[in-house]
Amino acid sequence: MNCREFDARLHAFVDGELDAGPMADAEAHVSTCPDCHGRADGQRRFRQLLRQQPKEAAPAEFRARMVALARRERTRKKVRVWLGTPALAAAVLLLAFVLMARSLSTGGHEPDLVGSLVDKHLAYAQLEGPAEFSSTERPAVAAWFRQRTGLRVPVPDLSPAGIQLVGARIAEADQHKVAYLLYEKGHVLMSVFMVPEVDRRAPLAGRPMSFRGQEYVAEERQGLRAVSWRDGQTLFSLVSTLDYNALLECAEQLRAERAREARL
Amino acid sequence: MLRWIRDAGQVSEFEGVALVHLDLLYRAALRLTHNRAEAEDLVQETWLRALRHFDQFDPGSNCRAWLLTILRNAFLNRLRREGREILESDMAADGSGAVRLEEASVAHSNPEEDFFQTVLHGDVDRALRTLPLPFRLVVTLADLEGLTYKEVAQVLDCPIGTVMSRLSRARQLLRKELVTLAREHGYSEESR
Repeated sequence: MNCREFDARLHAFVDGELDAGPMADAEAHVSTCPDCHGRADGQRRFRQLLRQQPKEAAPAEFRARMVALARRERTRKKVRVWLGTPALAAAVLLLAFVLMARSLSTGGHEPDLVGSLVDKHLAYAQLEGPAEFSSTERPAVAAWFRQRTGLRVPVPDLSPAGIQLVGARIAEADQHKVAYLLYEKGHVLMSVFMVPEVDRRAPLAGRPMSFRGQEYVAEERQGLRAVSWRDGQTLFSLVSTLDYNALLECAEQLRAERAREARL
Repeated sequence: MLRWIRDAGQVSEFEGVALVHLDLLYRAALRLTHNRAEAEDLVQETWLRALRHFDQFDPGSNCRAWLLTILRNAFLNRLRREGREILESDMAADGSGAVRLEEASVAHSNPEEDFFQTVLHGDVDRALRTLPLPFRLVVTLADLEGLTYKEVAQVLDCPIGTVMSRLSRARQLLRKELVTLAREHGYSEESR
């Protein structure tokens, strides 16, 4: 092995990733070539420097959330088999509001986004403070979204229905960036998700439903009800354990707030 | 009944094999996103996908590589969605022009002792951030997390030869950046 050949194998040599034959050749070369010996030594110490970098652990709260998520999944699977439809999330309301970006979409099949949103909600519903930005002020939440994502996110006033704003998060679901609003009604948590630009040709899964002249698609997921609709390139989805009527009322408020925003 | 036992067992098994890799996933996500909230979200997405597709995981195979593969794909999908040109930068990373041998030998010629002594806490992180994504990934996996070439190849979905050439260039770039940082430290000390 000459210096050039050794050079091509330097890193694999230092990492102990050469097969026995080439490794022996490389060792033989290093023992007779001070230059290559020095370089191998330098690489070794550089590698050591990198390996000795401090290893940060995941925050305890986050770890607890992931453990809970795995347990939740286990429970869900049990309940699904025993009860058919789980009554698990009975005290939980999820309002999912989705604007989806699908740049590569071909108009075929939308990913199971609602299912992902329900998962997301189930995960966050277990937290004491699920919001990344906590605020009961609608303008503050809208401003936070504008600053974080550049998106104008309509934040509807649902207080007449006894539903209060809690805060917001930026989330991801099925490869979509999702703006996530959280509301609560008593002990009922309500989440709002948003992602811009959805493929308007892709069909929405579920049962068609009409409410005050507007068309929706309804679907039950993991004991939660989902009401979805598309508005231009924006997909909205409300998911909750509440009855469809309550959801549709919320949906209407959301539509109204969006229309109001558009006029501004 | 049988299905319940199997499914429930499957998820607890998931915790058993996956939970030990949570810190690794979190660190890798941090190095990719440079943002704690985003890193947590990326790991959560990874975690959920892994939970849902755990039946596809071969118990005899490598769990950390499997999880990191999911994490990498989720991250790349995010970048694509945000319109960032990963494919091009990926190609550039393997192009011969990325790091020339001359540059490499400049780094080689630095007195090693001086160089290593001046690397301060946080320098590696800072230097790593300047690396293009494919280099950052390969160094993170192989050097910071200690994955084997085979594992790295699985995660990056590329041949081992590509791992080797990319790692070699990545280390050269990182070293060069660290030397620059070290010089900056030296300069500021002298100027005081």
